[in-house]
Amino acid sequence: MIPQLDYIIDKILPAFVTFYLVSLGHSIFEKSGILNLAIDGVFFTGTGAALLGAILPIIYNIPISPPVMGVLVATLIAAILGLFMSSVLTFLPISHGAVGLSLQFFSYGVGIMLGYYVRLAYGTIYGVSFAREDVLYLSIISLVIGVVLHLFIERTKIGAAIRAVGENPHSAAALGVRVMAIRIVAGMLGFALIGFGGALFILSWQRSWDVKLFTLGYGWLAFATALAAGRHPIVLIPVSLLFGGLVNSQTDIQSRLGIPADVAKLIPFLAALALMLIYSTTRLRRIFASPSSLGKPYYKEEKSI
Amino acid sequence: MRIVLVRRKKPLKYGGLVVALLSLLSGIFVFTIFAWLIGVNPYPVVETIVTTFIFPGVVKDFIILTLLGYALLIAFKGALWNIGAEGQMHMAFLVSIYITLIVFFTTEKSLPLYISIGVILLSIVAAVAAGALWGGLAGVIKAYAGVDEVPVTLILNYIAYFIGDILVYGPFRGKYVYGYARTDLIPDPYKLSIPVQRQLSGNALIDTVTGYMAEFATYAVWLVALILVLIFTYWLLNKSNIGLRIKILGSNPDYLVSLGYDVRKTMVLTFMLSGAIAGLTAALYYHGSLYRIEYPLEYNTASYGYLAILVAWLSMLDVYLVPLSAYIVSAVILGSQRVSSLPSVREAFTRLQLGGAEMAFKLLMFGSILLAYSILRFIQDYELKVVS
Amino acid sequence: MSSPLLSVANITKTFPGGVIALDEVSMDFHPGEFTVILGENGAGKSTLVKIMYGIYTPDKGSIILKGREVEIKSSLDAIKKGIVMVSQIPQLIDRLTVVENISLSLTRIGMFETMTRVRRFFKEVGEKIGIKVNPDAKVWSLTYTQKQLIEITRAILLDAMVLILDEALTYLPMEERRKFYVYLNEFKEKGRSVILITHKIPEALEIADKIYVLRRGKLVGALDKASANIDKIRDLMFGEAAKTITYERFTKPYETPVGDIVLNIRNLVVEGDYGEIAVNNVSLGVRAGEIIGIAGVVGNGQRELLEAIVGLRRVREGRVVIDNHDVTNKGVKLTRESGVGFIPDQPLRYAVSADNNIVENVAALFSRKNFVVNWKSMRELSEKLINEYGIYPPRPEMHVKLLSGGNIMKTVVSRELEYASKALVAYNPTRGLDEATSTFVRRKMKEKAVNSKLAVLFASEDLDEVLQLSDSLYVMNRGVLYGPFDPVSTPRSKIEELMVV
Repeated sequence: MIPQLDYIIDKILPAFVTFYLVSLGHSIFEKSGILNLAIDGVFFTGTGAALLGAILPIIYNIPISPPVMGVLVATLIAAILGLFMSSVLTFLPISHGAVGLSLQFFSYGVGIMLGYYVRLAYGTIYGVSFAREDVLYLSIISLVIGVVLHLFIERTKIGAAIRAVGENPHSAAALGVRVMAIRIVAGMLGFALIGFGGALFILSWQRSWDVKLFTLGYGWLAFATALAAGRHPIVLIPVSLLFGGLVNSQTDIQSRLGIPADVAKLIPFLAALALMLIYSTTRLRRIFASPSSLGKPYYKEEKSI
Repeated sequence: MRIVLVRRKKPLKYGGLVVALLSLLSGIFVFTIFAWLIGVNPYPVVETIVTTFIFPGVVKDFIILTLLGYALLIAFKGALWNIGAEGQMHMAFLVSIYITLIVFFTTEKSLPLYISIGVILLSIVAAVAAGALWGGLAGVIKAYAGVDEVPVTLILNYIAYFIGDILVYGPFRGKYVYGYARTDLIPDPYKLSIPVQRQLSGNALIDTVTGYMAEFATYAVWLVALILVLIFTYWLLNKSNIGLRIKILGSNPDYLVSLGYDVRKTMVLTFMLSGAIAGLTAALYYHGSLYRIEYPLEYNTASYGYLAILVAWLSMLDVYLVPLSAYIVSAVILGSQRVSSLPSVREAFTRLQLGGAEMAFKLLMFGSILLAYSILRFIQDYELKVVS
Repeated sequence: MSSPLLSVANITKTFPGGVIALDEVSMDFHPGEFTVILGENGAGKSTLVKIMYGIYTPDKGSIILKGREVEIKSSLDAIKKGIVMVSQIPQLIDRLTVVENISLSLTRIGMFETMTRVRRFFKEVGEKIGIKVNPDAKVWSLTYTQKQLIEITRAILLDAMVLILDEALTYLPMEERRKFYVYLNEFKEKGRSVILITHKIPEALEIADKIYVLRRGKLVGALDKASANIDKIRDLMFGEAAKTITYERFTKPYETPVGDIVLNIRNLVVEGDYGEIAVNNVSLGVRAGEIIGIAGVVGNGQRELLEAIVGLRRVREGRVVIDNHDVTNKGVKLTRESGVGFIPDQPLRYAVSADNNIVENVAALFSRKNFVVNWKSMRELSEKLINEYGIYPPRPEMHVKLLSGGNIMKTVVSRELEYASKALVAYNPTRGLDEATSTFVRRKMKEKAVNSKLAVLFASEDLDEVLQLSDSLYVMNRGVLYGPFDPVSTPRSKIEELMVV
């Protein structure tokens, strides 16, 4: 009983929490109709920002637990990115994909600068990370966030407004919705959660940071899972568990099946690709449909025939 | 009093040029601000970037990025965002390596001309095919499963990296590299660069000119390929039926369907053409400069595949402007890398391990210009009006 | 006469391309009155009300509400000020439920509130009006009439002072329209103002207390009920062009000879966008030289039927046979290569490539078989079409997106009519066109049918168009085809009856 519990706490839960928060945030963001190709970049910036936040209490003698501060800073910086992206893409009728991708690369750069600076100055971050058992509380918090978000989106007026803007911002505006305000709310909230996930990646799962982390591509795994799960907060729970397990158990899979390390690294990506294919070619596509206006540039005065 | 966005009555004249210029300046500006934030004096930063425009080292990147720029131009014309040039290049590398290091491996310093050329040609053709197939795979997934090609091509990039990693650690591992995880050097007879000697005269101007001449001479074969690709792309997009289909695909795919064309086949074909040119570029790069690939794979291409996105956009998808755009991007990016080795930058980082900083600078520069461009695009067709 | 509830003064609006949509237009809307703004497509009426509803910003001019000048920044702003608009195309979000849609407009519902109160409000008003709609139904499952009723419910719940109907009732059969007039009268009695936009003179004369006539962006006439008659209005609406416009038939039905059946549709069953049955066992035969029209309110399966015939939509059951070749589910390519021209609904979205020029758009259709395009002959063809149809400006290298809506339509129609050798399939072929161009297009369709022995099948939401052009007509209702009917001898009321749910 005990070794299995250890396994869950050490391996499964931290990975689950990270993937779940990231895909949850991404889902909320995209529900308002903005395509999010910056996901991996925001995730990575979250890791760097978390690092920065974690050492602030030590340097400036702030009476807040370092990992909690890390989470707060990461969430804040990510939310600012969310504000930027959602407002720019709603005010200007420009390509969502182009802005998202650009922001991704830019965020990689920002993340490296944030984390690198801190890492060089401070050294190992093990001391400012979450304790091993904290992951239990973090998991519960994430699940609660997920359930609350689900009810929020499906039952409340503001949830209906977010979905309306994602389906057809012109109609939503004609019905009286403040499109810009709604997009900003969804944008900031969504990215904040991604930042949160990124922070936990560093402070709860890895407990270390390296420049090369930006090549991991975990954000894209979350992208694929969110797509296939219909951006549904509850369906995302098992899917995140699956991917968290796949990614984190690479070494176990490797030793148990006797395959080289790099093949094990391939598996989550192949799984992601497979998931996207399954989603697109079956009824899932209709049941878990993407918002109709996802990725469409929005121009208020669009004249139609 | 508020600001309203209105559509222009007529698109801004030379709008594309204005946007491109503004994006470059904004990007460089943001980059400089960042450098300043970490305590680096902006003046040497800007100076370094500007002087890189007449730096012979740009030539190599320029040719590669022009070729890749054309590869992406074709896809982008069809509104297919081929972010997978990296992966397409990697698959091409693997095939070329297989041919030169396994099938036709030799330790001879030189071979009869017909064998050398034969192997090189075979390698190039195989590389083109590999790139076309890997691109076509993305095209098939997009066309037949309807999945957005950006995450697909990105994930395929990662898959290509990992496949490469597996092979380099395994069967492709060099026999003559002790302990390192990389392939052997390409045999001399298969190298495509021309070794050129030049003497430094001491005069800066003359050295720069001879530097450029030396670079162009070294990569003469690449230049030939560049011209061929330019002609091909021009003909494809302006004269052929396929080119028209690609353009309409990019403008209004619904229209293409109602005309009775097979949109899916057009998508796959476009991706294959794009991947093919990427594969060609990879072969040339491997034969002419890289000479071997090492683990981990991501760093072998210096992100050319991603930089090419900027090249294609800055060229405003105009066949004639791709080389110019490629030159500018090469200069600016190389400039950002040179910035990271400035003494004042080294001072800002107390320790010596600078690998990460270089990458960060490159990404910041690239990201800022790309971001500025994607936002400023609106100026072409829209304007801001103050309404009271 | 009491002072106006709402006024617009000197409104001017220009669109990109230099099109002057509105030129110094001023109007007054009085409480307790039905004001109709009449004008043909492109006259600017829709632009005007969109300005009043906060969707467009005027270049010049002012809006005066209850005596004070106001600025309407957005639709939400308009609603807050008591102005509510219902459009021809329902603004409701398909994937949301009825109550969710309504909640978005009600400011008295809090952001974090659930739909409980909204359901109650909806039921109260619904009972008064007599809607039998499940408040938690998803909007995509409703009919057009139901959607419009929900829009009216929304307006009532919003306690609108000014209700704008932008061609909202124009495409409903008379029967259905009368239902709405009952509720609108209630509005009137409460001292509110109703503004009706339409391009159909009879509809205007049905209820107007006052009529404003717009022509090419200018206000050309203001009449009240007593002095309004059809001829006066026609003159004001069309001016010189009135001579070329007609809703009279070009020939009697079947006056010219028809050949064998070219387009044969047998027991067709087709699915809609949400998996429901849109076309229910439809059979139809169109002969060479014959024009068959399908009348019906939007959303009854016409679009899906035509898409299935051309090959753009999967056929679940049944056969489509063109010229004795079975083309069912064999793709658009085969159908097109059999000589079928296609004018889809919303041609701007589906039938042109706006970023390319006219020659390229023509070449895309005509040069399909060649590897290298014969640009010379494509250019010549483009010039021929430009001359024949009066496309302006007459330059083949003109990028399509710079053309006006009417000229883009001409490009599409001319191209398809030229290409069609066996059959032509069209949906709303003249929607959005001004009357002169519409008459021209219909005349061309008739000519082509007769001269090239083309089998023409078209569907239109405009009953007048169907009556004018068809040799024989059908009515489509809930996916079922009724008919054939003779357009001249069948009483109009019978046809309208069949169009109603």
